[in-house]
Amino acid sequence: MKKLFVLLAVAALGIVTGCSRSTEPSAGDRKKLLVALLPKSKGNAYFISCKKGADRAARELGIELIFDGPTDPDPAKQNEIVENWITLGVDVIAAACENKEGISTALRKARAKGVKVITYDADALPDAREFFVNQATAQGIGYALMDEAARLCGNEGEFAIITGSLTAANQIEWRKYVEERRAAQYPKMKLVDVRPCDDLKDKAQSEATALLGAYPNIKLIMSTTSLGVPGAAEAIKQAGKTGQVKNIGLGLPNENKRYVHEGVTDSVILWKTEDLGYLTVYAADALVKGTLAPGAKSLQAGSLGEFQIQGDNIMLGKPFIFNKNNIDQFDF
Amino acid sequence: MPLPANNRQSGGWKAILFRHETVLLLVLALEWFYFNAVGPRFGSLDNMYDILRHSVEIGLLALVMTPIILTGGIDLSVGSLLGLCAILFGKLCRDAGLSPAMAGVCTLGIGALAGGLNATLITSLRLPPLIVTLGTYSLFRGLAEAITRGADTFTNFPASFLFWGQERWLGVPAQAPVFVAVAAGVWLLVHRTTFGRSFRAIGFSPEGARYAGLPVERRLALVYVLAGIVAALAAILYTARLGQARADAGTGYELYAITAVVLGGTSIFGGVGSVPGTLLGVAAVAVLHNGLVHARQPREVAGMLTGALLLLALAGSVVPKMLTARRVRRQTSPSNLQPTETA
Amino acid sequence: MKRHFREVSIAVALGLLLLFLAVAAPTFYQPQPLLSLLAREAPALVVACGIALVIIGREIDISVGSQFSVCSVCAGLLASMHWPPALVLTASIAVGALMGTVNGALVAGLRLPSIVVTLATMVTWREGLRWLRQGVWVDLPDGVQWFGLSQAAGQWTLILLALLVLVMMALAMKHLSAGRFVYAVGSDAEAARLAGVRPQLITFLTFVWMGALVGLAAMMNVTQSPQVDPNSGTGLELKVIAAAVVGGVAISGGRGNLWGVFVGLLLLACVSPALTHLHIEAYWEKAIQGAIILLAVVADGLRSRKEKR
Repeated sequence: MKKLFVLLAVAALGIVTGCSRSTEPSAGDRKKLLVALLPKSKGNAYFISCKKGADRAARELGIELIFDGPTDPDPAKQNEIVENWITLGVDVIAAACENKEGISTALRKARAKGVKVITYDADALPDAREFFVNQATAQGIGYALMDEAARLCGNEGEFAIITGSLTAANQIEWRKYVEERRAAQYPKMKLVDVRPCDDLKDKAQSEATALLGAYPNIKLIMSTTSLGVPGAAEAIKQAGKTGQVKNIGLGLPNENKRYVHEGVTDSVILWKTEDLGYLTVYAADALVKGTLAPGAKSLQAGSLGEFQIQGDNIMLGKPFIFNKNNIDQFDF
Repeated sequence: MPLPANNRQSGGWKAILFRHETVLLLVLALEWFYFNAVGPRFGSLDNMYDILRHSVEIGLLALVMTPIILTGGIDLSVGSLLGLCAILFGKLCRDAGLSPAMAGVCTLGIGALAGGLNATLITSLRLPPLIVTLGTYSLFRGLAEAITRGADTFTNFPASFLFWGQERWLGVPAQAPVFVAVAAGVWLLVHRTTFGRSFRAIGFSPEGARYAGLPVERRLALVYVLAGIVAALAAILYTARLGQARADAGTGYELYAITAVVLGGTSIFGGVGSVPGTLLGVAAVAVLHNGLVHARQPREVAGMLTGALLLLALAGSVVPKMLTARRVRRQTSPSNLQPTETA
Repeated sequence: MKRHFREVSIAVALGLLLLFLAVAAPTFYQPQPLLSLLAREAPALVVACGIALVIIGREIDISVGSQFSVCSVCAGLLASMHWPPALVLTASIAVGALMGTVNGALVAGLRLPSIVVTLATMVTWREGLRWLRQGVWVDLPDGVQWFGLSQAAGQWTLILLALLVLVMMALAMKHLSAGRFVYAVGSDAEAARLAGVRPQLITFLTFVWMGALVGLAAMMNVTQSPQVDPNSGTGLELKVIAAAVVGGVAISGGRGNLWGVFVGLLLLACVSPALTHLHIEAYWEKAIQGAIILLAVVADGLRSRKEKR
């Protein structure tokens, strides 16, 4: 009986306190706009640099920015964060989607509750968001990678791809366009293998070492994850095949400067990640204020100027190729 | 763990206070007060439903992990089995053209078979559960990746199925009745049947239980097969909630489940534990993770606090016993025992 | 032969695999990639030796992956501040030993179950590191890679260092009393205590030693490339525990030796490159590793069943 009494007492206290707090200010009372930025995962330097641009934009616009993301790989975690934000009462959710179909479930729910939704870096299903801030189309990225690869290999030869994981949706899509471009324009280039590195640089190095050994005629290693390029570069360097096997991929300039200058990595393709974050926050702000609505053809984004809109994709621009001629100008 | 005679006085309020469930309830209350203070929307009904919906799968795994840990075993493969069952469910719906209901029944069967694999290796070969389930942890996840080639995912489930994960039924999230039913079932099993008593006995001493005539192997097989079935059920609810089945579903869930079970007062050594404790453990962690979002803290803080909470809970259950033991040692040490004076 | 049945049988399994590769994928046998493979596995071997000792003592430590990440980042940061390599190495070992002390104090001092303690510390350190570093890499100055030696010299140094740790520990476990005590505590702590061994002290020391080895391994990993990835320890605990289990270390304590662990680690580490050289798709990797673990475990069970009859 005593036990029951204690339990009931504590529970009652809890409920009383809890219910008395249920009358909370609604979103409209708040002065500042609350924008929630969701990366694919935390602890990823790519998204950290997006955040830098986002922070700058938030300061300029007087917006409150939340930046939070999953710290473990379970696909449901992004959904849970989005749902928490809906309850929290954010005004806009800007999400980089790990899981196209899965996250759309939560994003649709957000829209139904009146939260504005945009995506950036990796899209959800079109009906789950209003706009997609696209750094470059998946086609643009895939084609750019394949074109650069072919250019470096003289349009023929074997190459391999190191991917972050076999399940990441946007990497799957990029690989699809790489293959499409290869089949159409460079039939003499042959893709011999695709190996995942679990987004670990050290594993990418091991995988690249194995690739170099298993395919003696390989001419190029292409990485669709930023963890892959430095790992592969180190492997090529340690195998003594600098110059003989080319190394390209998607990656951040700072992580690759060393190898580009040493001639191990030929080019790194990316886009201005800070600008991506900056544009995303400006788009979020414009969406709430109404200056960005379906059918708009362009968006003014602070100090970066005007950006084109294709359908519901806000285009950051084309993928940018960093090589030894220009990589030192960038710091991210 | 018998208390020495002269400790009888502390059997009253101290025993209640130091009961694991009470401490956990206090922790929950503390979390509640704090998060209500810093987060205006925390106490809302919507948020309560969020907490419920987000913790159903882990809660199911924690529930079924409780009898397993009671027997002194462990099952590290439940998270991977969740992933495997999720993609098999998706495959049955999409490629075999089964209705979600039929596919669900088949998936539960597959879960039972997988649990049966664990059970066979553990009971007939008398292998340590930690090692067997470590192997199946890799095997199940590996099979999920191999079947989908890593890339394949399953979506486009009919709305009638997605209802179970996303909609409300009679005002509460649809998963809630399922969860309550399983919780009630496991509670009955552990606390009100002879099966449950036998789990504790096996946890205290498998050999002793065997000599007492308990069918140890059959009981162990039961809990592991049950774990497989419940993992499959969790997989189905997960897929309904997310609207998608992927090979990496449920990554890390086994550790969350074990955390919740241990927080709830079940001893990892076996023999001691309760289902209400597990439910409180699940609640404590779920409220913590949810509340920290309302407190605008990053997710890493949630992880660190969970780790700290786990350590505190463990230490909290051990320190009183140690203090008691020390007091007993002091009281019964030769220098303290005085011969009685004769007049 | 019977006593070392396990070690011999996995050595045979490894031998068969290598033989198979020689026939089906001779590209596997090129000196430089093989050297790189062994150098890359050297840190894991050091950690595996440590975890084998912990498991023989009837405990477990699943926080080694997080410890590895923390030590790697510490070592990297100190190296980038131009500390001399010897000092960086010492610091890395010290940080590891410190984390091991925390584990040891909780497990041996408070008699808490090691699986839960190390689960808690694993999560705490991992999330704490992530919170502080936010995934940013550490750039190392020149001269840190390979301890400033040439690549080949550096790789051989690492491999020999790992083998040195292996041999020293194997000998110590067999011939030093401290080593035998771990076996005693792992078999039957109460009997060991009655025999004059102090089980709690032994357990405590195995965790501290584990941490120190992780610090050493982290430094060995840091010197293999010019950048430190703070996620580098991810999955390490699984890898080394699997290696120990496949290598014949009994999870119930008191049994096992490091030679089996060595072969077990090699066997599991060869799966991925073997798949690449055999041109088999990558998504089979986990399933095959899981199957190897289960086979090893089942073989154990069948053998002890036969013995009991």
